[in-house]
This record gives sequence, structure tokens and C-alpha cells, in this order.
Amino acid sequence: MKILIAEDDPISSRILQKNLKNWDYEVVQARTGAAAWRALQDEDLRLSILDWMMPGMDGVEVCRQIRRRKKYKYTYIILLSAKDRKQDIIAGLSAGADDYMTKPVNFLELRARLKAGKRIIELEDKLIFIQNQLKDVASRDSLTKIWNRAEITRFLSEELERGQRERIPTGVIMLDVDNFKKINDDYGHAVGDLALLQVVSRLKRKVRKSDKLGRYGGDEIIIILPNCPQTEIKKVGERLRLAVGRRRIRTELNTIPITISVGCATSDLPGTSSAEKIIKTADRVLLRAKEQGRNCVVAAGDAQKTALEQKNA
Amino acid sequence: MPDSINLNKLHPIDFREVLGRIGGDTSFLLELLDIYFQEYSKKKQLLDEAITQQDFTQVGDIGHSLKGASANLSLTRLLRVALLIESAGREKKLQSAQEAACILELEIRTLKDFLARNRLEDLP
Repeated sequence: MKILIAEDDPISSRILQKNLKNWDYEVVQARTGAAAWRALQDEDLRLSILDWMMPGMDGVEVCRQIRRRKKYKYTYIILLSAKDRKQDIIAGLSAGADDYMTKPVNFLELRARLKAGKRIIELEDKLIFIQNQLKDVASRDSLTKIWNRAEITRFLSEELERGQRERIPTGVIMLDVDNFKKINDDYGHAVGDLALLQVVSRLKRKVRKSDKLGRYGGDEIIIILPNCPQTEIKKVGERLRLAVGRRRIRTELNTIPITISVGCATSDLPGTSSAEKIIKTADRVLLRAKEQGRNCVVAAGDAQKTALEQKNA
Repeated sequence: MPDSINLNKLHPIDFREVLGRIGGDTSFLLELLDIYFQEYSKKKQLLDEAITQQDFTQVGDIGHSLKGASANLSLTRLLRVALLIESAGREKKLQSAQEAACILELEIRTLKDFLARNRLEDLP
């Protein structure tokens, strides 16, 4: 594990360095508070031993700076000082130090205290890992493992904001499986689930890494396409429609045909400034695709050809 | 010499304590003593300048720094002198600072003589 020694006294620093290396720590050294602060920008530096008295920024101020930052993982701090009065210890701990040791350091004690620090860091890492796992579970659809409705809507809002800032259009594709209810009714829900999984798998292979897939509800899938103008989105929708419908789905007993209807909208069209509005637009054109006979693509703002004409072309 | 200390009763260095601190490694102790003497030369010059300019904050800081280094190496007599310098600085006592600076020079010589006369392995 990496450890910072911030100590201006070369003797103290050298003794600390030798002992810490013997205990298998990877030592980073700083002689001033400012140098310590620079070194602590390395996120892997989670353990630090700070001397209180240093030129310029002292150890207590470095403690305060560390505790002020928000995005970094926890840094465990042991403050060293020749000051051994109760009020000094209280001041050091109040500034954000986790532990306090008076000089000259007893190295058996330091080793034990560092082990305690390592335990705290390891516990924090486990906690963050579990927190991320829980967050991921809460953000994904339990069947298809693609983003759930809340998360995909959040992504869309962020993407629209980014697109507005950078003046690039965002595309939204809303699609659903044709006659999905009939698949469920005729073959059972297990086959319906399998069909949905197959559709998602085929879609995933045809989108870019930057595109995001989410389950909007039931058999409705939504795809967010950053930097996708109105002139392009229909081609993407068509590619997806063909990718899904090209092969039948194999179940345990037989194979069944599967097709999708696709509605496309982009933020470079009028009235699509918010996530809610653009989804509504994509949903409306998806309904038109359904009305026009299913297994087709309709894009908002596309008045040149009807979906039926395209399908027959 | 100020009344508050009687250095003659003390050994210049407590070997048992310092070797206990650094795992009994005598060659490492020699390396540390070498660093100490190098640092001392720089600090003594700064101390003399600070006393001349009556910069008591600087006097106190140098005393504090010498105190830490001496304590790390269990230089018992020099530790006492460093404490005197630190107090003289904090209390803004010019004469005490001047006297302590003179004792410091003497004690460094005493330590060097002591180390020259004795092999580390044979010391108590």
C-alpha cells in the first residue's frame, strides 16, 4: 500500500522511510505541506503520516484541505508532533486527523496504528464496492440487465443538456416487439422473456458503445444516441429493425418469428427540448409505425415517405 | 550555563534507546548521525543570523527543529539545549538565546569527541 510521509526533518523522515519500507509500504516523501498536498492528488495515496510543523502549509492545514475535498476516497491521516498537550491533540484531531502520535515515534506503536488505518481503508473500499453494486442493481432492469426507466430517463436528460451545450443533436429510438402479447399468450411468459432477451442481445450488437439501451416498460425499449441528427436516425432504426427480424427466435420446442416497430426522434427537431418531450415524440411515431402495419421505422419530421412505402421499397 | 540544566550528569547519546528505535542497526545510526551533523551546520548558521537580527520566531522554530532531531537520535544533552533555544525564542529572551547557542556549539563538539573515542558496538 502507498503511504505519504510529510516531514521536513530529514532524520525523522529517514527513520520513518526505512521502517515503512521494511513493513512493505510504498513510500512517497514530501518535505513541505504544499508538496504533501500535491502528492495527495494521487488517489492511490490513502495513508499519510503528516508532521504538524512544516514550512509553509503545516500538517494541520493539510488535514483540513484533505477533509474539505469531496470526490476522493478516504485518506487515513496520522498526525505527528512534538506537541503533547491535551489541547494540541484535540486541535489535531479536530482538524481531521484520524490519529495522533507524539515524537519521537515508538515504531511498534506506529506499526500497529498503521494496521488500524489499513483496516479502516479496506472497510471503506468494501463499503464503496457494495454501494456501487447496489446502485447498479437499482439502476438496471432485472430481466434484461439494461438500464431501467428511471436511469435511462436520467441519462437522456444529461445527454440533452450536453448536446445543447455542445450544439450536437441527440437521437432517441423507441421500439417494441410486434405482437408481444400474442407471444406471451401463445407460448407462455418464459418464451416472452426469452424473446425480449434475444431482441436486446441483437440490438446491443448493432449500437455504438456510446449509445445507451434501457427498458422503458413491458416490451418497450428505448435507445439514446448521442450526436445523432435527424438525417441519420432513420438509418439506425432500419439497421436495428433488420438485425432483430432477420432470424427467428429458437425456443426449446420450436422457432418463432420476431419483428419490431421503431419510432425515432431527435433533439434537432422543434418541440424536443426535454427528455419528456422527446420521449413523447418518439412514442407518438412508434404508434404510427404500429398503425402502418408494424415491422417498420417511422421518424419524427420525416414527411417524405410513409413507413409502408419504405417497407415495400 | 543556565541554572535549569546540568548536562554533565547525562551521556551525550542514549544508545540503548536510539538503537531500540531503529532496530539495532548501527550502520543506520551512523548514517543518521551524519545527516544530523550536516543539518546542524545549516541550522547553526540560521540560528546565529536569527539571534543577530533578534528574529525570535526563527530562533524558536530552529530550537523546535533541533529538539525533534535530537530526540529522534536520543541525543540527551543536545535535546536539553534545543529546549532552551526554543524557550528563549518563544519568550523572546535574547541573552538566554545567545547563551544557549554557545552551549549548543560546545555540546556538538562533546558529542563528536565522544563518538570519536568510542566504538558504537562497545557503548553502553
